[in-house]
Amino acid sequence: MNGFVNYNTMGFYKLTVNGQLHSVEADPDTPLLWVLRDNLGLTGTKFSCGIAQCGACTVQINGDPVRSCVMPVSSAINSKIVTIEGLSIANSHPVQKAWIEEQVPQCGYCHSGQIMAAAALLEKNANPSDEEIHNGMRGVLCRCGTYPRVMKAIRKASAKISKS
Amino acid sequence: MKTTTNLPRRDFIKLSAISGAFLAVGFVPLGEKESKIVNLSKTATPGNELNPFVFIGTDGKVVLYNHRPEMGQGTFQAIPMIIAEELEVDINDIEIRQSPADEHKYGDQMVVGSRSIRNNFNNMRKMGAAAREMLMQAAAKRFHSDVSECEAKNGYITHVSSGRKISYGVLVRDASELEPSNSPALKDPSQFSVIGKSVPRMDIPLKTNGEAKFGIDHQVEGMLYASVERSPFFAGRVIDYFGEKALQVPGVKYIFKTSRDVWGKKREAVAVLANSYWAAVKGRKALEIMWHNGDLKNWTTEEIWIDYYKASKEEGTTFEEKGDFENIFDKSANKIEAYYETPYQAHAPMEPMNAMVSVTEDKIEFWGSTQNPNGIRSHLAEKFGMHPDKIIINYTFMGGGFGRRSLMDVVDEVADLSAQAGVPVKVIWTREDDIGQGPFRACSLNHLRGSINAEGNAECLDHKIICQDIRNQSGYGKSPSSGITGGVITEYEIPNFRLNGVLRKHHIPITYWRSVYHSTNCFAHESFIDEMAHEAGKDPLDFRLVMLKNHYRYSQVLKLVAEKSDWYKTPDENTGRGVAIVERSGSFVALVAEVKRIEGKIVPYKFTVAIDCGIVINPDTVVAQSEGCVVMGLTAAYKSAITIEEGRVAQTNFDKFKLMELYETPQVNVHIVQSNEAPEGVGEAALPPTAPALTNAIFSLTGKRIRRLPFKLDEV
Repeated sequence: MNGFVNYNTMGFYKLTVNGQLHSVEADPDTPLLWVLRDNLGLTGTKFSCGIAQCGACTVQINGDPVRSCVMPVSSAINSKIVTIEGLSIANSHPVQKAWIEEQVPQCGYCHSGQIMAAAALLEKNANPSDEEIHNGMRGVLCRCGTYPRVMKAIRKASAKISKS
Repeated sequence: MKTTTNLPRRDFIKLSAISGAFLAVGFVPLGEKESKIVNLSKTATPGNELNPFVFIGTDGKVVLYNHRPEMGQGTFQAIPMIIAEELEVDINDIEIRQSPADEHKYGDQMVVGSRSIRNNFNNMRKMGAAAREMLMQAAAKRFHSDVSECEAKNGYITHVSSGRKISYGVLVRDASELEPSNSPALKDPSQFSVIGKSVPRMDIPLKTNGEAKFGIDHQVEGMLYASVERSPFFAGRVIDYFGEKALQVPGVKYIFKTSRDVWGKKREAVAVLANSYWAAVKGRKALEIMWHNGDLKNWTTEEIWIDYYKASKEEGTTFEEKGDFENIFDKSANKIEAYYETPYQAHAPMEPMNAMVSVTEDKIEFWGSTQNPNGIRSHLAEKFGMHPDKIIINYTFMGGGFGRRSLMDVVDEVADLSAQAGVPVKVIWTREDDIGQGPFRACSLNHLRGSINAEGNAECLDHKIICQDIRNQSGYGKSPSSGITGGVITEYEIPNFRLNGVLRKHHIPITYWRSVYHSTNCFAHESFIDEMAHEAGKDPLDFRLVMLKNHYRYSQVLKLVAEKSDWYKTPDENTGRGVAIVERSGSFVALVAEVKRIEGKIVPYKFTVAIDCGIVINPDTVVAQSEGCVVMGLTAAYKSAITIEEGRVAQTNFDKFKLMELYETPQVNVHIVQSNEAPEGVGEAALPPTAPALTNAIFSLTGKRIRRLPFKLDEV
């Protein structure tokens, strides 16, 4: 792993996470993921690949699903960051409700990312086609193989959102 | 539904002990499946945790403990369900707690081989029934009646003739004075009202809002993070290292040489300890290490295959034999022969390996996700020469395990780092560490020969397994690993049959992987049975049924899967179906894969699973596990493999070790046989037949026989 090392000193960054303003001290290239987890104690967002290939670290930034493991904290300022902890109060988001009704998670580790990606998808397109769901969930991996239920839960949440 | 907690809250028990009476029932484990039920209500003293299975407070609040680490397999819900069934409490009105790691009070807590339910079903029933009987005795006394006049239901004991009712909470004081029976009356299975019902899992709401705590989520005061550079060559040794540049990275505190034990082999490494994970990773990038990598630098998977093909000519060890294979095969006019290759596989659970350990002079504490909490205690006790009672194991939910988290290597390394640093140290493996280091599922070569007689029946079959043996790496176990022939259907009525193997040693570290040898052997075996059926001109499902006509459970799942998959309805010209069967961890599975040719491409379209796992605890979990097995089986069939190039693993992360994704996931329909047989394991059973059912389906559609995994779906 020999390579270029950035010796930049620490900086202070103001982040708006789940509606709250935080000031954190971190290296500018620290991924947002680790700032959320280690500085802010928001451990619902998960580390798994570190190279934006699995989606476990997905958060929403200004409503878009973003892989927080490759986003430097310095790029996350001046934006609205939402993590799984801030998606709703008491599992009340339609996607979370559908996830519970369909009993989607097994180990559960990837599902913060799955839910944040699905919620972002339905926010933009409340009634997606199967193909749009497939595309929207690309790169969000689950090793337990809960995909059949992820699909059912997204359809269910979509039906609820479209109705309301 | 009540909320649940991730880790046992010790204060709860202590407060209850002060505030008044409670009923606490547990067991003393006696071997793998036996136990003695004990009343723990009076044993609460400072420093002595109750560690019960059943806890009922005077307010009637019922807490049931799950003592099996949860990695997605669903025992968090299933173990308490079994207790609740006999205890007669509303399963949706209890609280579930994860038990501490305590082998004296919970027995074996290692979650491997889909054992949780089959080894604990009777114990858990006894537990619930014994506690119920204590409450009934206490109630009968109050009713001035005989126990036989009382009935327990939904947390109340009713005096049947008078209709008087007393809640469990009111009875705990009296009940806590009683001795539990070790042979309480168990319910007749026809009376089950919890077992066999799909009960929502109480851990799921914790996993949809970020609340669930996994090993990687734990932090303690004063801890350091470690990122560890290990040789990409399996036996690399550190000649020297320079950490000056790494130490300049802000936050980096220490650089240590370290090592971890992998199946008796010491794997050297250099670790960077820092006050944040990111600083540790940056420091690691700045490390300069001189490795001695020996001759392993030139290793390739190809060389292992060459060795295996050579070994396939050897006599090998005979595991099972009937009739006279060689003689019959020699004389047969209609014989076939084939080799099947299955590769190394990574476990790649979504939660990367991690562990936190604090080693001090008089105490060691562990926090993390593990399949084997008590194994960690014994390992650390031996490593540091400390009494096991001074070692505290805090285990959490696991972000997947699949066998990888049953090993001690991760803990071994970080414990060494904590001892060197004198503070709690948490190691987090990168995904590249995980995929590059293994240990892996063994790759294997299977050589099969067989013949068909004039009547079109199988007359002989020889199945030879060539692979590494998990328990015989670097002189570990002496006898072959049990289960090394798993996945071979020895029940087929083939008059001349031989099952044998050649076990080879290689430096690639291997370990248990979901369904272990079943996943490799079953592919070869069930593919070859298909080849024999084709050679015999028989329908492959009927061909199997004939050979299993005296085996009720195999026949039953085969018939069920035939019905549910429309097996006997001729598919259209762009559809192919294949079947495969297995017995794994006591459960019988028949699986039909359906593939379609869509716009010239082969698409795995629908998988129909028929499973007989005996008595079903939570049917939805059986369905979920079977779905997961199919998806993981497909990843191993045509998405990914671990290969060795120039002495190192060629795959690094999910960009090269690809997993199945949502868009390519087929339909999975699971059908469960109603059964009163003893409950068996469901976490692995549907995985082994997934690949052969798929490739058999591809053969039926295209005539192309796939004998090497992983195959490229777009090249079929």
